[in-house]
Amino acid sequence: MSDTLSRRDFLKLATLGSAAAAALTGCGTAARYVKRQPYSDMPEYTLPGQSTFYATTCQDCAAGCGLIVRTVEGRALKVEGNPNHPVSRGRTCARAQAALQGLYNPDRVIGPQMQAQRGSGAFGPINWETAITVVKDALQKTPPAEIAFLTGLAPDHVFDLVSELTAALGAPPPLRYGALGMFEARHTLAQAAAAVFGTPGLPVFDLAGAQVVFSFGANFAETWLSPVAYQRAFGEMRQTQDPLHSRGYLVQFEARMSLTAASADEWVPVTPGSEGILAQAFARLLVDPAADIAAAAQAAGVSEERLLRLAGIFARAERKLALPGGAALAQSNGLETAQAILALNVLAGNLGQPGGVQFWLAPAVGQDGGAASFGEIKDLVDRMNKGQVKTLFIHGVNPLFELPQALGFAQALENVSQVISFASFFNETAAQSNYLLPDHTPFEAWGYQRTSSGGEQGTLSSIQPVVTPLYDTKSSVDVLLAAFQLLGDETAPRLPYRDEVAYLQQAVAKLVQQGASFTSNDPALFWTQWLQQGGWWSSAAAAVNGAVPPGLTVPPPEYHGAGEFYLLPFPHPHLGDGAGANRPWLQETPDPMTTVMWDSWVEINPQTADRLGLKDDDVVQVVSPVGSVNAVVYRYPAIRPDTVAIPFGQGHTELGRYAQGRGANPLDLLSLRRNAAGDLAFAAVKVDLRPTGLTRKLARFEDRVGVYGDGKK
Amino acid sequence: MEESHGKWGMVIDLDRCNGCQACVTACSLENNIPATGYDNASYGRGMHWMRIIRTWEGEYPDIKANFQPVMCQQCGRAPCEPVCPVFATQHSQAEEINLQVYNRCIGTRYCANNCPYTARVFNWFDWEHPEPMNYYLNPDVTVRGRGVMEKCTFCVQRIRRGEETAKAQGRGVQDGEVQPACAQVCPTNAIVFGDFSDPESRVSQLASTQRSARLEESLGTQPRVVYLQSLL
Repeated sequence: MSDTLSRRDFLKLATLGSAAAAALTGCGTAARYVKRQPYSDMPEYTLPGQSTFYATTCQDCAAGCGLIVRTVEGRALKVEGNPNHPVSRGRTCARAQAALQGLYNPDRVIGPQMQAQRGSGAFGPINWETAITVVKDALQKTPPAEIAFLTGLAPDHVFDLVSELTAALGAPPPLRYGALGMFEARHTLAQAAAAVFGTPGLPVFDLAGAQVVFSFGANFAETWLSPVAYQRAFGEMRQTQDPLHSRGYLVQFEARMSLTAASADEWVPVTPGSEGILAQAFARLLVDPAADIAAAAQAAGVSEERLLRLAGIFARAERKLALPGGAALAQSNGLETAQAILALNVLAGNLGQPGGVQFWLAPAVGQDGGAASFGEIKDLVDRMNKGQVKTLFIHGVNPLFELPQALGFAQALENVSQVISFASFFNETAAQSNYLLPDHTPFEAWGYQRTSSGGEQGTLSSIQPVVTPLYDTKSSVDVLLAAFQLLGDETAPRLPYRDEVAYLQQAVAKLVQQGASFTSNDPALFWTQWLQQGGWWSSAAAAVNGAVPPGLTVPPPEYHGAGEFYLLPFPHPHLGDGAGANRPWLQETPDPMTTVMWDSWVEINPQTADRLGLKDDDVVQVVSPVGSVNAVVYRYPAIRPDTVAIPFGQGHTELGRYAQGRGANPLDLLSLRRNAAGDLAFAAVKVDLRPTGLTRKLARFEDRVGVYGDGKK
Repeated sequence: MEESHGKWGMVIDLDRCNGCQACVTACSLENNIPATGYDNASYGRGMHWMRIIRTWEGEYPDIKANFQPVMCQQCGRAPCEPVCPVFATQHSQAEEINLQVYNRCIGTRYCANNCPYTARVFNWFDWEHPEPMNYYLNPDVTVRGRGVMEKCTFCVQRIRRGEETAKAQGRGVQDGEVQPACAQVCPTNAIVFGDFSDPESRVSQLASTQRSARLEESLGTQPRVVYLQSLL
């Protein structure tokens, strides 16, 4: 060894020598199917001790963040954001981090199975041949009008293929639903956008470029539309590199201080349902600084001086933006509220401007009719109740958990002769299915997803397997296509796809001519690049024109129930639509505001709690006109005294060891009141609190602040 | 100040941080930190290397919540080090960070008692990774057993990998090339990691602004984590 190179360094360098740089690997066209191989014959790209990185897309919510997954010797080890991806730009949220605990969850469904009697839990294994025959028989023997498909919220390839399949059969199109879509009132937002901008679909709000942002309950730090993209934009808004851009000012109007409101410069606790009235008042003040806003101030429960001061801040800002949050739209006056908030953007003159409202051009793949409204789901339930649905296919959604109990989905399911679930986990709905035909989990699967609800560009994000499927699972698209091919010579040619990958390739080939992030005239090369880059994106923005809808007035909100408190259910920042509850690290990561782990709770203002004689960890019964749940009290100092809030995501009766039997599901309290767009008015229920005399200790992280309990208030 | 060579450090911009906890989850998945379950988490036996302190300020309706991510501050003069009877809590000469040598640790927990930041966590049990949950365990990081103290390492495995990669390519480590899991995941880009010995690095630039402060600096611990105060 020389003086300058020690033996230790020499060995290090020798091992690193050939493959030091981490390369992004797209599966080549020859590597469509990964096989198990003996150790001596390592698969391509696999070197002992060296990492291989695959680009794919997160499917734990509908935002569609691009990911890069680190694998070593065939195991997925760590999830990172894809630095080039317009939605994530190298970042992720906690849910994406814990996605590995979905892939390697000990409670996965490990193969196709059936139960003779639904709900008996006596599942017995079947083989995939039988499963495909079952699906084929269901498609063949059920009259097309009596087939129904329910898919998850994400606009992905499963939805597109099922849309084609139902069209080929003459069956009703699939419905896209997820609890997060309900909490964002996506359908209401899309309808309002159509009314104000003439463009249906979800607008993108350029938070990063705005100087003053009025957020009407938009909880973008938790789950709203595209949380990673909006959080990144929030960081930019705060401390931008641009010296000419002053620090952005965020004002959050909502009854309970959410995580987003906690980072806002001002939190304005307004009466639930008054957001639209407030937005209209700001709009009036923008036009006429002397307008009378006494009624709006009264409705919102905020002083007139404060409103005038805020309106002044808004009016003076060069680049101003108003965000329509989900809870504001989930009121009896939700559609008008959404229009009023979007109209405020029109008056602010920010359409298509930096710091304003934008629309990205969606990739020309598939038909995106938007998420189903709650009304459409209710129509489905009505059809089920009338016996008009014989076969129900469920993919990517857990309706028995994600729909209010009052809707009666469980009872309606009893009138459906056959339920076929594609769930990867034994969730509440899978437990009530005849056939459980598990799909791969996202890191084992192929696919694509359109993303246009956030981020910097319209994107067709790619999904590719990063590991070999662990169990005897099968892609649902492959199952459906295989079953469809058995339907006979007349029907089968209507879906001319050999398998899922062939379906994806023909879809992606449509983008070859569209140019944008990369171009290649060779479809095979284009496909490889698409996988390697993590998707295709185009910065082409659609023109945005808007006008305040004539005669728009926001009616006063109406509430259901005579209870003393407004109920505000909100999606848990980490558990999302509830599917995250079986990831131990999402349970163990403290809720940011309360630091509670492994449980759910009801937030009550300390003044109210004192009046009712409630202490921390007391169990109360929360009673609404349609149901009741027991929840543990958390004395939350940043909520209106007339409001209580319960997180959504816990309260599972199934879903495995980490999720079952924890907390309560606030959807059990919701009545079926809807807004004018047909979405559930989930924030318009009034409840009562009844002490039970019981206590249960919440697992709180904040107890450890200071030295073992020191520093606790 | 000490000799400047590869002084790794972190800057956390509290004006950007919105307390989302993505860093906490990312840290746990990178560093093989087990989830302990409801009971142990209730007892304060959770193994989080990183925590976000949420404090309330004021009373309703004029109330504010503040967030501060806190992990091992990688003190230049670390109070945990001189109290370890078996030299398990060591100062790394190469990276100038505090390391925990797991196979030396005998679990006296003196270091945790002496840490002013309560940054250390103790393995009270052998935690379970039921099959196949153990598949994602990071081979670059030791899986710790019962009776061992542990804490944030600034993702030393990533620092080493970055240094070795740079060395193999015959160059120095570039600014931003090495990122611990928390900095890489942070959606608001609040956490920045880099080399304080390079005055041009982003951490040095950020730390020289007026907003910068260190935790409990008066104790003389010389923490290597700099906080930029929130403007809220």
